[in-house]
Amino acid sequence: MSATPQTVEESGSAAEPRGGWMDAVGSFVRQRPLGAIGAAIILLMMVVAASADLLAPYDPLATDYGAMLRSPGGHHWLGTDAFGRDVLSRMIYGSRTALMVGLGASFLGATFGSIIGVASAYFGGRVDLFVQRVMDVFFAFPVIILALAVVSILGTGVGNVILAIATPMVPRCARVVRSSALSVREMPYVDAARAAGFGHRRIILRHMLPNVMAPILIMATAFLGEAILLEASLSFLGLGVNEPTAAWGLMLRGAAVEFAESAPWMAFFPGLAISLAVFGFNLFGDSLRDALDPRLRTQ
Amino acid sequence: MALYILKRLLAIVPTLLGVAVLIFLLLRVVPGDVVEARYMGQGGQFQSQELMQIERAKLGLDKPLWQQFTAWMWGIVRLDFGLSMWTGSPITDEIKLRFALSLQLAIMASTIATCLAIPLGILAAIKQDSWVDYAVRVFSISGLAMPSFWLGILMILVMLIFFKWLPPMVFTPLWVNPWDNLAQLIWPALAVGYRYCAVGTRMMRSAMLEVLREDYIRTARAKGLWLKLIVSRHALKNAILPVLTVISLEFAFLLGGLVVTEQVFNLNGLGMLFVESISRRDYTLTQALVLLVATTFLIVNFVVDIAYAWIDPRIRYR
Repeated sequence: MSATPQTVEESGSAAEPRGGWMDAVGSFVRQRPLGAIGAAIILLMMVVAASADLLAPYDPLATDYGAMLRSPGGHHWLGTDAFGRDVLSRMIYGSRTALMVGLGASFLGATFGSIIGVASAYFGGRVDLFVQRVMDVFFAFPVIILALAVVSILGTGVGNVILAIATPMVPRCARVVRSSALSVREMPYVDAARAAGFGHRRIILRHMLPNVMAPILIMATAFLGEAILLEASLSFLGLGVNEPTAAWGLMLRGAAVEFAESAPWMAFFPGLAISLAVFGFNLFGDSLRDALDPRLRTQ
Repeated sequence: MALYILKRLLAIVPTLLGVAVLIFLLLRVVPGDVVEARYMGQGGQFQSQELMQIERAKLGLDKPLWQQFTAWMWGIVRLDFGLSMWTGSPITDEIKLRFALSLQLAIMASTIATCLAIPLGILAAIKQDSWVDYAVRVFSISGLAMPSFWLGILMILVMLIFFKWLPPMVFTPLWVNPWDNLAQLIWPALAVGYRYCAVGTRMMRSAMLEVLREDYIRTARAKGLWLKLIVSRHALKNAILPVLTVISLEFAFLLGGLVVTEQVFNLNGLGMLFVESISRRDYTLTQALVLLVATTFLIVNFVVDIAYAWIDPRIRYR
């Protein structure tokens, strides 16, 4: 509770007229250095993904059997894999896959999860009880096992992996959003909307959902890193993105482990990329949580 | 209290039933079945449909779904999990040794995680916003970022390149040869334990920070108590609950969720068995595995809830 005055004070200073968004960025960097590092990593990743065609020195799919398992240096900065494909180029293109899966899965998971959560809180009673029991069932599955089950139904590939990763996220998001929505439901404006005769859908989507946006955003950013990690795990098992698509988890699979002793770069660099990306998203997500949730704010 | 425990225990049953229905249906939605999966390996296209139908009838796959489901449920009630559709041997035999491996690994990993997470989290909370805090946070957030299978690959690489040594690749139960057993399992336990330690550390830090802001801590400080004493006597008791919850729930998932790490270290645990059984469309084995993991999770969850109510008198039983 002691954090409330601080919130007011800070939002006051942020609203000063002379401050443009440059100042806002500056104050974010000063107040949350770790979050700023995270944001920088995410930005870098997005730039790399967007300009992969310009940055990558080689075609990520082009095999060159004359240059298999080359060590880093020379023409191939990070070496080549067992098919003679350039590791750096594949890593650059892999950032596209990671971002696509990460953003897609956490967007889908957060959207469906929050709608279910808000609806469950809004209707209450039996509906709420039933939805909660169904969520309990999903909770009893380890995340990766649920994702694996979905992949074996839908098959592999980027789109299916997004769905598979979003599935275990729905119940977790629903639970968190529901608890926030429970207090929103008691707000006078929800009563007012009901008195005005608005339909359930309109009240849920237009009146309640916007007011639980903070936890949804927090959940979605927390999912991002996790989704990237999960995609890498699935691809590593051969049950995620299909060869020859460039994906970090896929690069660690098979030959990377077989030739680990003679060609350690194949196993090292893609893993580094995964770690860096997840690191960035986690740092940013943490700072976002601190900023949006005053209860957890550091004094 | 007894009524509360009974109520919570009974609540597990419908959830488990839900898990059973869900996995039963999910598996039947997966294209192909065990007969096709088996003949696929032997050039399945040339097998006659009649032969495959006979095989299916042997496994009871030709019966209506509700009959298959009730038969499975009736078996579980009598603690008879049936035979694996792929190997034909009893499921309890298939699972036994792998369960021992997974359980030991889960215990080792959570021990490592707990022993590191609690002191690190406390340290970070006490020294909030100092370099110690930042170091601990970077340590824990890197643990969350690094895929444990990659950490495993790195460990193997380092051992191979610098020490010319590899951990044993064949599992020896602890009771047969403890040294070989530990030499093999300590690495995956460290790789996975690091990640769970990271989760625990973050939880410990934020719980501690929250508790340290409470009025009774201020009172204790105001009367001039040592910080050490305040932390160990007053704060820890209240802050440790959520950490224990997280770690014990992770423990349940460690049991079945180590699919990828097991692959890296060539461990024949429950996770590997799960991937194998689902790719062979071995319905009975997959169902049994999922039910085992879910039951463990629900029981751990239940025990944590009861322990909560027991440790913290403010929580009422309803």
